[in-house]
Amino acid sequence: MQDEQLEQQSTAAAPIQSVKKFYFLDYIYILLYSVCKYSKGRDILVSFLKMKRAYRLGESKYKKLTADTEDITDGRIRRYIYTFRQVFAEVSDYGLIKSPDDWDTVYLTETGEELLLQYKQKGAKSFNQSLFKFMEDKYGAFRYLITKLDSANRNLPGLLFLPSYSPRQLDFDRQNMKTTSDFVTYSSQLINRLEDDIQEHLGTTKDLKTENKRLLKQLIRTGLLSSHRRDRFDPDKYNVITKRFRDFWMNYFLREIYDYGYSMPSFDIWTYRGKQIGIIHATEFHPYFCGKIVYPLSIIINSVESQDFDQLYQYSDGNKLFVHRPNWSDNQEKFVEAIVEAYYDLRRTYSSYFINLAALREIVCLKMKISDKTFEDFMSRTYRLNLAGKLRIRISLEVDKLPEETSAIYLKREPIMVDKKYRNIIAIDATKGRRL
Amino acid sequence: MSKLTRKPAHIQKPDTLARFQKFYLSDNPFPKDPYVNQDSTDKRVNGKIYETEIHKAEFQQIKDNFLKQSQTDPNHLRLGYIVDTSYIGRGNGKSAFLINLKQIIDQEYCLDISEGKNKCFALYVSPEAGGRIKTFPSFVDILFNSIAKSDIIKNCLAILRLEATKKLYQNAEEIIQHTDDEKLVNDLNTEEWFEKNGFDILAISEEIWGNEFLQQLPPEFPLFQGRRAFMKPFITSSHFTDYYFNTPKTADRINFLFSHMVDFFLAAGFNGAYILVDDFERIPDFQSERQKRDFALQLRSCLFDGSYTNARVGFYDFLLVLHAGVPRLIADAWSLSGMEQRVPILPKISSKHVIHFEKLSKKHAILLLKKYISEYRLDGQNLDPLFPFTEDAVQKIGELSEYNAASILKMADELLEKAADSEEVKLINPSFINKNLGIFEDDSSTRATVRKTSKVLDLQKKAKVKKAKK
Repeated sequence: MQDEQLEQQSTAAAPIQSVKKFYFLDYIYILLYSVCKYSKGRDILVSFLKMKRAYRLGESKYKKLTADTEDITDGRIRRYIYTFRQVFAEVSDYGLIKSPDDWDTVYLTETGEELLLQYKQKGAKSFNQSLFKFMEDKYGAFRYLITKLDSANRNLPGLLFLPSYSPRQLDFDRQNMKTTSDFVTYSSQLINRLEDDIQEHLGTTKDLKTENKRLLKQLIRTGLLSSHRRDRFDPDKYNVITKRFRDFWMNYFLREIYDYGYSMPSFDIWTYRGKQIGIIHATEFHPYFCGKIVYPLSIIINSVESQDFDQLYQYSDGNKLFVHRPNWSDNQEKFVEAIVEAYYDLRRTYSSYFINLAALREIVCLKMKISDKTFEDFMSRTYRLNLAGKLRIRISLEVDKLPEETSAIYLKREPIMVDKKYRNIIAIDATKGRRL
Repeated sequence: MSKLTRKPAHIQKPDTLARFQKFYLSDNPFPKDPYVNQDSTDKRVNGKIYETEIHKAEFQQIKDNFLKQSQTDPNHLRLGYIVDTSYIGRGNGKSAFLINLKQIIDQEYCLDISEGKNKCFALYVSPEAGGRIKTFPSFVDILFNSIAKSDIIKNCLAILRLEATKKLYQNAEEIIQHTDDEKLVNDLNTEEWFEKNGFDILAISEEIWGNEFLQQLPPEFPLFQGRRAFMKPFITSSHFTDYYFNTPKTADRINFLFSHMVDFFLAAGFNGAYILVDDFERIPDFQSERQKRDFALQLRSCLFDGSYTNARVGFYDFLLVLHAGVPRLIADAWSLSGMEQRVPILPKISSKHVIHFEKLSKKHAILLLKKYISEYRLDGQNLDPLFPFTEDAVQKIGELSEYNAASILKMADELLEKAADSEEVKLINPSFINKNLGIFEDDSSTRATVRKTSKVLDLQKKAKVKKAKK
């Protein structure tokens, strides 16, 4: 019922779940750029793939495990044609390109040209915000998402938490997990933990036993587990089984707990796109949560009094979307306070002077409701003040890894750019002349 | 035309100034590659140019807690850590600090610092990068290498021979009275000198062998070589090196260094030695958990409770230099081996054995540049000691290089080179640095549970709070 109301409020032209299946907004830029340079369908596709590789979209920008070949082979084209078509269709829907004779000639519309020029002149941030307007006009998805997030949590405003505990995180040793019974034990510990999370974050109680039985039945039906507890499962399927647990409970939380009306993939696409625009934050690396957290960096309201919000969009019912963009001069004290507090909290678990900067970033971003980009900007300013001796604390930032962290963690988490250099770890000395 | 009368196209003018002469410098005082190499002859990189004021507090702490404490006190500190608290990175001046510390200790064998209580020498040990040193025996090998490379064995032999000669020959004092220490050590390690002065080396050796500290040593100890031979022996430091490296068993090598050599040093009148281990992380970085634990156990045995002479008397005092990540890396091994109880690497309260190595400040950066410049300043010039740099420029350099000593020196070097090439530049000030900023930028592009999160900003509430616009 509530969902219907939400949809009625917006004048969206297409349902949320019909969004095209890609995450990176950069894809739209490289398509527009390719169309600007070439007019034939295949040339555009080749240029798109070349730029995709050059920008390293769809993979970690910082570490590359396999060498790339220069050639655009037919196999490569077949692999990426789906993504290309999805981007092509979405960009056509927004009226940024026109292709009257089905791929033979493709050209930019006037709006498309303007948008491309905007990227060149004002950069990706401004480009993404313009794209946001096209997306919101068509789908109204961000309004739905942000409204859902706002009501997700009583204790931590705006925070949507999708818990995920692997067997390892619940102290199960993979070597000892051999039979169906081991997974049944894991599942009962898992639901205990999930019930605790619901109690803690949402202030309500839920009995997950029935759902758990349903999941186990599904796994037995698909042959991944046996109906006899002592039977061994196929060890090659271990990862598949754990993924089923993860997906099942994430979907359950999304639909049943948070009352989100659409599928997990569309939720992921919209949150990740929102993250690129800077109106939503999503992470799987918050040090105090096992799983994924999502929270809004913007609000939908008639008007704001605070100077720390910028209007990004106006809806037909008079409501506006304001993005939270705190200015440095009013918020510097709060920011430094937040990094110092987060540093000392994290140090309790690390017991060394240096701690992971990405972990600190997640805590500060949530506490202040700021984006990664704002964090980098504020951190750079703080660091420069520190070097100039204008702070009462001292900060060291380094690119090194912490000894106990494996390279795999760094493959997943991209380093943070502070003062034009990549940084991985931070130490703060607040003992001298401090007030904390 | 004959090559004798042909002239080159580029002729040096007779009044040409040397490149850095316009800044009243004989050469560029700053190192191109600012990393300490103590074997280099260039004083810009071998650690000889050192400003003691910069890490004065750290030095004072080492002095009070280690150097001034009597070595015969059974509770004196046998192990300490110099922990880089504020900086994990390379180039913060730790190696230069250690080399300087070694020189200060060796200058008067610590007799001056300890007010006569201790006679100690220092050794600088740096495990090589790349992970070759994984086990305690291989660490002992580099330790012995460092002894062999220093002149300490030669000096000990000289001390023992000098004392024996003085005892046996009344004219010895007269012969040596005008010889300086360095020449005397060389003389006492040359067989011909004894022959020339009519001192019988066999009688002197026998006098030495009677030293009370040498009585427990095995007959194969290098000092006793040739004791029962027909030829008169003359032992040099190479006998010690050969003996050590020809000893096949690692246990015997450890025993040699931590028992026999300790007796030998005690016989020569030393009562301790400071082993300064730089870049200690190069050892645990490559060790397995088991190797870490074995290493810690053997170190404990050699320092505290093994059957070695060193464990009994506490002769060697180790100072391990650790970067900030290392305590965590070895904490488990330290705790399993019992080292954490004796000398905690992560003490709960501030402890005497942990020396925090601080990061540089603007004041330090100025002192650092002044020191280097003073070493190359042309005489007779009554100039600002920082010239051609201004104080503001040094602050700027410091900030740009994040107050890392090596980066400061490197940047100073590059700026001075640039300034020397340009005729108009008379002073290196912040605007000159700004103009040359491009040369310092690196390649990196400017690219496109503990439930503690109690207080989280509520955007809805914040939006409603009015604040006057600045």
